[in-house]
Amino acid sequence: MQYDDPDKVQAEQEEASRTAAASIKPGQVAYDVIVVGSGAAGGMAAYQLATAGVKVLLLEAGRTIDPSREYRTMEWPYATMRRGRLPVEEVALGAPEYNMIDRPYGTAPRFEKYRKVLSYSGNTFTRNWLVNEKEHPTTGTRYAWVRARALGGKTNLWGRVSLRLSDYDFKAASRDGFGEDWPIGYADVAPYYDKVDLLLGISGTKENLPQLPDSIFQRPLKLNCGELILKRAIAKMGRHLIPGRAGVTTEGVANKYRARCLGRGRCGRGCDLQAPMHSPTALLWPARDTGNLTIRPNSIAAEVLVDPRSNKASGVRVIDRLTRESMDFPARAVVLAASTLESTRILLRSTSRNHPNGLANSSGTVGHYFCEHIMGPRASGFLPVLRGRTPTNDDGRPQSIYIARFRNLEEKHPAFIRGYGFQGASGSLEYPSHAHTTPGLGASFKKTVRENNPAFITLSGFGEVLARRENRVSLDPEVKDAWGLPVLRFDYRFGDNDLKMAADMAETAEEMLKAAGAEGIQVVREPLTEGWSIHELGTARMGINSKTSATNAFCQTHDVRNLYVVDGGVFVSAGCQNPTWTILALCWRAMDHLKEEMQRGHV
Amino acid sequence: MASQSGQLSRRGALRRLGVGAGALAVWPVLSDEGLAAFARIQEGAASAPVFLSAAQYAATEAVAETIIPEDGHSPGARAARVADYIDLLLSEVEPDVQRAWVSGLVELDRVARSRGGRPFAELPAEGQLALLTELSRREANPTTPLEKFFKDAKDATIRGYYTSEVGIQRDLKYQGNTFLPEFVGCTHPEHGYEP
Repeated sequence: MQYDDPDKVQAEQEEASRTAAASIKPGQVAYDVIVVGSGAAGGMAAYQLATAGVKVLLLEAGRTIDPSREYRTMEWPYATMRRGRLPVEEVALGAPEYNMIDRPYGTAPRFEKYRKVLSYSGNTFTRNWLVNEKEHPTTGTRYAWVRARALGGKTNLWGRVSLRLSDYDFKAASRDGFGEDWPIGYADVAPYYDKVDLLLGISGTKENLPQLPDSIFQRPLKLNCGELILKRAIAKMGRHLIPGRAGVTTEGVANKYRARCLGRGRCGRGCDLQAPMHSPTALLWPARDTGNLTIRPNSIAAEVLVDPRSNKASGVRVIDRLTRESMDFPARAVVLAASTLESTRILLRSTSRNHPNGLANSSGTVGHYFCEHIMGPRASGFLPVLRGRTPTNDDGRPQSIYIARFRNLEEKHPAFIRGYGFQGASGSLEYPSHAHTTPGLGASFKKTVRENNPAFITLSGFGEVLARRENRVSLDPEVKDAWGLPVLRFDYRFGDNDLKMAADMAETAEEMLKAAGAEGIQVVREPLTEGWSIHELGTARMGINSKTSATNAFCQTHDVRNLYVVDGGVFVSAGCQNPTWTILALCWRAMDHLKEEMQRGHV
Repeated sequence: MASQSGQLSRRGALRRLGVGAGALAVWPVLSDEGLAAFARIQEGAASAPVFLSAAQYAATEAVAETIIPEDGHSPGARAARVADYIDLLLSEVEPDVQRAWVSGLVELDRVARSRGGRPFAELPAEGQLALLTELSRREANPTTPLEKFFKDAKDATIRGYYTSEVGIQRDLKYQGNTFLPEFVGCTHPEHGYEP
């Protein structure tokens, strides 16, 4: 398979974006709604509004993409000179750098010689979508903040794990007394989860687990032998191993831009069949086909503008990424979907006489209750009964396994509240990373690596980080990004409960692999740097009380009626489930609310 | 398209790699030497190291082949051109990493001469294996410069070999990265499969 040079495609898209942006100026068209951001939330917001006849202007800070040419889905490592390594002038941060180097990371002396400093997600496939830390600094405590500035945002590289929250999550505070319940319950969101399932496609199995409600699934992914062995072993412990629930269509959806999954694997570098949910092909392009959506790339939202007389949002001030020109786009309503922390950053920047602490922040909660998932603790080993067997294709699916939360459901754990789930996989790998820890050399070493490869099994935990008021982001008073906009200062650390939970994850991962008969088990107990899960949540949380939350139950800000926040910012607590499917469902629900408000003339 | 020196021209190298002429302007980060060397690797042409001297290349290749040798099952690091991969990487890394590699080879040759009277690359295969096996004893916690060199060489060999066509297809017999109408999964009742 021969692919285009990604840097050539990028140069073409940069040129196309420059031309597109130059052609879209304030005053040409009257837009009803401005949507900021083009990831999962921005895509869903634009789709819901445009298909209902609402005129939408979508602002994307980065360039457009050409997924049919930029995604090198089936490229072998030996097809490129560095076997997938980054070019010499670029570097991706690793856990030691995040933990040891002072912020801002990009301007640390040891990175001076590099042109581009990427987050840990930077690799040969993602390097042209992720931001350069040199242009996008952060200050304060360490944090692995992964940001994609290109059309589709992080849906270009997301992990596809698509899970529903349950009332164990929405009503967690009532169960254990910590924090606050969401202002909504599972019954409020379930109809929207259903709609998201049907529109976008999701693969999985019906399991009737109360802590992990079922979706309306397309053809499930099968388990391989190692995974079945583990499933049977942990069933005796009352734990549920299920096929991964993937936001991927295995049977097709009614969308001319997308094909069904053809089991090639390698989804994280972008699927050129568009089988996984990908905001541009799944949502933005169908929305654009209605004639109601205008997409302006290179558009950095500097702040939301407010009319002081009506106290309503009047539009968005945009800085063009290339020309640095500032321009004000007016609209009847504004929807922030720039990612949890970027939307919060925009709110905090949108200060005026009536809103001195930032917009939608009379409660003082914006930036606070920052939460996510703690990860890192994991275990891996080899299943002896699979050693030396004929290799099978174990990669040909978009997800492998998920182990549903089993802590603090009916019984109470003595050391911590809330819970965690595991992702994992068994079977043959294209790259046998276990070779690096296999001792020795020579023919015996080579044979061991070869025979162990089909027997490999691994589990990795994702745990709920509690939403604590003291975990927060704020605007740095001095440091600015490359466009002169104040950057975020992190004041965020894992807490006692989070770390005790992480310790338990490592214990139970080891315990389950042992139960399955695995040998050569290696356990990692240390959590990865804060932010590693790329699931940042909660910094503009929803609630009934306008004194303790930023938005109402429909993601509409308490303070400004025609302003909505529809990304992960509105989460009241993180649960332990990967958040994308919930963001999509909540956004759809919020846009139904906005359309009603517009019809009633409230907005 | 070979230039007079026998080196591939930059344009010729790109063409052989299937990259259009338009890429020339936007691919400045690749050195001409690196590109030409890669094109040669792809085509199976004779090695022409860009960083290592001929003797250093021979030693690097001998170390890699000793770590992952040809066996009855599949070719080893030599056939997978692991030394070319290591040479390419060395041509781009920082001077201290280059120095560490070269001084590691010098030290390895010194020990090889003191034991077998010849540089490492010219020792018989058993002698090479015996020497490196000794260095591998403390690979989990290497202390001497030579032990550290072995650990680096092993990691580099693993990366080079298992990202090569030989390693992926012929040794591991990796079955993925293909069009699959439906993932098959396990069909063995003894593993828990229930039809």
